[in-house]
Amino acid sequence: MKMNKELIKNKLLALIQFLIPIIVVIVLWEIIVYFELIIQLPAPSAIYNKFVYLMFEKKILTNHIYGSFYRLILGYILAIILGIFVGSIISLKKIISDMLTPMLSLLIAIPTIAWVPVLLITLGLGDKTVIAAVFLGGFFAITYSTMHGIRMVDKNLINAAKISGAKKTSMFISIFLPGSLVSLIPGLRLAIGYSWRALVGAEMLAAMVKWGVGKMIYTSRFWNDIEAMFLGLVIIGIGGLLLDQLLMRYIERVTVERWGMISEG
Amino acid sequence: MKKEAKIKVEGLKKVFEGENKVTALEDVNMEIYGNEFAVILGPSGCGKSTLLYLMAGFEKPTKGNMYLDGKKIKKPGPDRGFVFQDFALYPWRTVLKNVTFPLELKGLPKVEAQKMANKYIKMVGLDGFENAFPHTLSGGMKQRVGIARALVYEPEVLLMDEPFGSLDAQTRKQMQIELEKIWEKNKKTVVFVTHSVIEAVYLADRVFVMTARPGKIKDIVKVNLIRPRDYTDENFLKVREKVLEILESEVEKSMHQKQEIEKT
Repeated sequence: MKMNKELIKNKLLALIQFLIPIIVVIVLWEIIVYFELIIQLPAPSAIYNKFVYLMFEKKILTNHIYGSFYRLILGYILAIILGIFVGSIISLKKIISDMLTPMLSLLIAIPTIAWVPVLLITLGLGDKTVIAAVFLGGFFAITYSTMHGIRMVDKNLINAAKISGAKKTSMFISIFLPGSLVSLIPGLRLAIGYSWRALVGAEMLAAMVKWGVGKMIYTSRFWNDIEAMFLGLVIIGIGGLLLDQLLMRYIERVTVERWGMISEG
Repeated sequence: MKKEAKIKVEGLKKVFEGENKVTALEDVNMEIYGNEFAVILGPSGCGKSTLLYLMAGFEKPTKGNMYLDGKKIKKPGPDRGFVFQDFALYPWRTVLKNVTFPLELKGLPKVEAQKMANKYIKMVGLDGFENAFPHTLSGGMKQRVGIARALVYEPEVLLMDEPFGSLDAQTRKQMQIELEKIWEKNKKTVVFVTHSVIEAVYLADRVFVMTARPGKIKDIVKVNLIRPRDYTDENFLKVREKVLEILESEVEKSMHQKQEIEKT
């Protein structure tokens, strides 16, 4: 019971520490706009009003958020599956490693957004291009962190499994995969950030995409709707934060942190 | 009547290639009998762990052969159990799951695997810790898990690589006494590597003393003392003295080797 109280107190403290700087920025911002120190800057209150308007009166904000979210999830899951697959075969098969590693170094140097014009031609102006951009954004980070993770697995853990009779499949599932999570999870965290950025960029460039937070920012330009642009930025920021803190941190806590492979953060 | 060798090592040589070519083992020959507690003793860096890794199949010999029950050893397999100096427990598995892992690989049903695992967990005195993750355990407890995991699938031989090397003196002594008891119950063939003379004499039926690098078997000392042995017993001390004498010149050599390395 006492432990619980302590825990709640700590959580509350963390929340306050998180909120105070944000509140300070919002208040300062509001003051700056009120005294017109910077022109053309919408006040936080105006952005909030825009949010209420788009969400509850025009009811289109959820469409934008949903549109982005589903592209992100599709592209990201694709990046996880293929990234872990490619990273694993590169680490476990020497000949494939020799063949693919140079190409991978070459591809990783290309910014994801530079792919988009090419994708627009090959995959069209719609969803597919955006999903492909999300995929490319996350794929390389996941591939590299998988490779790194597998290389980091303690030699004697592999030996222990071998002498207990582990064959290739069980070796991969029971040793290499959990053993590489220390590196793979930070990779997944980076990747979802990259994917999220690629998503917003690609949405702006893909003409046939109607809904999406990136699209919302881009089209707001035509109406000079600067409040909507800022609202888009805020949503992107909060979205990234939630994905990282809720989803990724959770995965980290129940795996490598619980296993004592990294210290508690 | 001549005893059948459980493990036979013939003309074994191991060279580590690389920038500095190192000959770890040179012409090692030995025979280890069934149900025997064999201890390989040698100065640090003499290749005794390498010898054990070769028996396990983790490393390939440069020359020579090894046989287990007359069958050539080529790669790791569950006819051998291995206990590592650094424990090598799977951090993502609980104590119970670490011990059931070899049984899962065998395809044993879950209930049966857990029953078997529990028996060995109890034998090493870890009942009550089944659901703990390895990182929450002390060094001594970790190695108990290591021993249970190596015994649970009932291998023909148990290979132990300085299993108590990283434990404090008190725990180490305790573990020696308990391992002795477990061995008396199971009567497995054990090959145990150490650089502690007392540990060797306390546990061994026979002590294989190795030379400094490149490692060879210098001498074999039979320990005919009644078990469990007493560290302070006069006869115990006599055997210890004898083993120490054989070892001493080799330790000196190995020290010189180290200095040479430091100079270069």
